[in-house]
Amino acid sequence: MIDGVQQTGPLEWEVPVGYIPGMRVPGRFFLSTALASTVETGAVQQLAQVATLPGIQTHSLAMPDIHWGYGFPIGGVAAFDIEQGIISPGGVGFDINCGVRLMTTPLTPADLTQKKELVNALFGAVPVGVGARSKKTLSQADLTAMMQQGAGWAVRAGYGMPDDIIHSEEQGCMKDADIAFVSDKARLRGLPQGGTLGAGNHFLELQVVQEILDPVAASAFGLVQGTVCLMIHCGSRGLGHQVCTDHLRELEQATKKYHIHLPDRQLACAPLTSPEGMAYFGAMAASANYAWANRQMIMHEARIIIEKITGAPYDEMRLVYDVAHNVAKKEEHIVDERKKMVCVHRKGATRAFGPKSPDLPNDYAKTGQPVIIPGSMGTSSFVLAGTDTAMKKTFGSTCHGAGRVMSRSQAKKKIDGKGIREKLAKQGILVRAPHDAAIAEEAPGVYKSSSEVVSVVDAIGISHLVARLEPLAVIKG
Amino acid sequence: MSYSFRDHTADIIVHITGKTLDDIYSEAGTALMDIMYGKSTGTGIQRTVSLKNSDPDTLLFDFLSELLFLSDSENIVFSSIVVSLSLPCLNATLDGEPFSPDRHAGGMEVKGISLSGLHIVKDEDGYTLDILFDV
Repeated sequence: MIDGVQQTGPLEWEVPVGYIPGMRVPGRFFLSTALASTVETGAVQQLAQVATLPGIQTHSLAMPDIHWGYGFPIGGVAAFDIEQGIISPGGVGFDINCGVRLMTTPLTPADLTQKKELVNALFGAVPVGVGARSKKTLSQADLTAMMQQGAGWAVRAGYGMPDDIIHSEEQGCMKDADIAFVSDKARLRGLPQGGTLGAGNHFLELQVVQEILDPVAASAFGLVQGTVCLMIHCGSRGLGHQVCTDHLRELEQATKKYHIHLPDRQLACAPLTSPEGMAYFGAMAASANYAWANRQMIMHEARIIIEKITGAPYDEMRLVYDVAHNVAKKEEHIVDERKKMVCVHRKGATRAFGPKSPDLPNDYAKTGQPVIIPGSMGTSSFVLAGTDTAMKKTFGSTCHGAGRVMSRSQAKKKIDGKGIREKLAKQGILVRAPHDAAIAEEAPGVYKSSSEVVSVVDAIGISHLVARLEPLAVIKG
Repeated sequence: MSYSFRDHTADIIVHITGKTLDDIYSEAGTALMDIMYGKSTGTGIQRTVSLKNSDPDTLLFDFLSELLFLSDSENIVFSSIVVSLSLPCLNATLDGEPFSPDRHAGGMEVKGISLSGLHIVKDEDGYTLDILFDV
C-alpha cells in the first residue's frame, strides 16, 4: 500500500490528517487487500485534497471502485455542512447525473430468436457515439420543462408510464433546479441531444437475470431468474458538460472571493449559501433533471423496439430503478449522533439508502433502495440493495461500477477491439458500436473485476447483493 | 510543436510542447479535435474566437472550452486552428468541415477541460503543458 495509508480494518483504509497539509478530516476508503494494489497515488492524493475543503463532515470517503480522476477521485463521496460547507463541481464532474437504470421484461433469452435484428434496431433507434443527434426536435419550452420536471416531463410528453417516475432516485426530478443559471450555450447544446446516449462508457445492454442472491428483495424489485432486462447508462450530454464548464469558471472566482485555499483548481467551490454556490446547485439540479428525462426517453424508444420485434407488451417492461452516479444533493444524515442536513457529493458513487429511508417508494421501503452496478463489457452486472450500514458509514453511498485500471490510450494500443467483438460473439454476446476502437476502450480487461468490487461492498455491508445479471448484447456509445 | 497522449486511468492527459504560447494553444486545440474525431483535413467552415484573460492557463481553458462548444453545438470538425495571442487578448481562426459519421466517428467524446494541474510551463526550449480532458 502507498506510504502513509493505514489499514484500519479487513476492508478499511485510512488516510490520516496530515497526509497532506490542510486536511480537516481523515480520508477513508474501502478495499480488499487483493484490490488495494490497484489504487494509484493520484487517487489517494485526491481523496486527501477533498478532506481540506471547508465544512467537510467526518471523512473524505471513497468506495471500492476508487481510481484517479480529477478534483475528487472517482468513487469519491463527501458530505458538507449545509451552513458552513461548500459545493464544488469537482465533486460532481462534467457529466452531471451520469447514471444507470434497469428495466425488466417478461422475455427469456429463448424468446430472443431475432436477437441480431433487435440489437440492430436498438442501435438504429437510439443515437450513439460522438456527434450523434436526436431524431426528436425539442422546443425551448420542452427543454425548460425537461430541466424543471425531469423524468416527469418525459412521461407526460408520452415517453413512458406513470410508474416509471416512482422507481427513480428523487422520482427523476430534483426540485432544486433553477434554469435561470443554465446558460444559452448549455441550452443550445441540450436541444439536439435529448434521447441520445453519448459515447465513452455509455451503453445499452440486454442482460439475463442469472442468479438471485436475495429472493425477498429480488421479488420486490421485480427481478425473476432467467428473464431478460435492459440496462441504460448515460448522462446529461452537452448540456450538463457546459453547465459544469460555465460554473467551474464562476466558482473559481468565488473561491478567491471567499478566501478558500485549494490544493487543486478543479476543486473550485463556494459556500452552499453563497449566490455562486446556489447558482451552481440550481443549474446542476436542472442538468440532473435533463439526464433523468434523457434516460426516460431512451427507455421509451427501447420499449417500442422490443415490443415490435419480440411482441413483449410495452407496459410489461417495468423500470426497476434509476440511480445517479455524479451528483450533489441535500440530504439528512446522522452526524455525531445527531440528525443533520448535509450536501452529499457523489462522484462516481451510488446512493444506497437503507430500508425505510425517505425518498423510497412503498414497494422498496422494506428492502432498501435498489443499487444497480454495471460490469464492464461482457462481464456480470449486479443489483444490490441499500443498507442501514451505508447510512452509518458512507452517508448512504456505495460503489458505482467496477472501476478502471487501464487508461483508454493504453487500451486502444494494447487491445484489439475487433478481436474482443469476435470473442464475445463466440460467447453469444453481440456487441454493436460506432467503431471497433470504442470496444477496445471499454474492453473487460480495462476494469477491475465487478464481482470482486461488489463482494467488497457486500462484505462491508454498505449494500447487499440481490441478483447477478449476465450480458446478452451490448450497444456501446 | 507536438502533442502526445499520457496515461491517466479514467480520462486522457495530453502532453504538448511548443516554441511559443500560440503553438501551445493551437496544438491543444488540434489534440482536442483529434481525440474527438480522429485526424481531419476538411475545411470550408470558418469561425473566429476572441477572448480576454491575463492568466494564460485560464485563457487556454476558456479557449478550449469555446472550441468544444462550437464543435459540439454546430457539429463542426475543425482541422485548422490558428491562434494569435497578445496577452490578455486571444484571437483565433478556425477552419473545418461538417461532422460526418463516415469520416469522424472514430473518436472519444470530450466532456470537459479539467483545471486540475492545468499550468503552462516555460523552459529553455519554449513551453510545455500537460492537460487533462474528461472523456
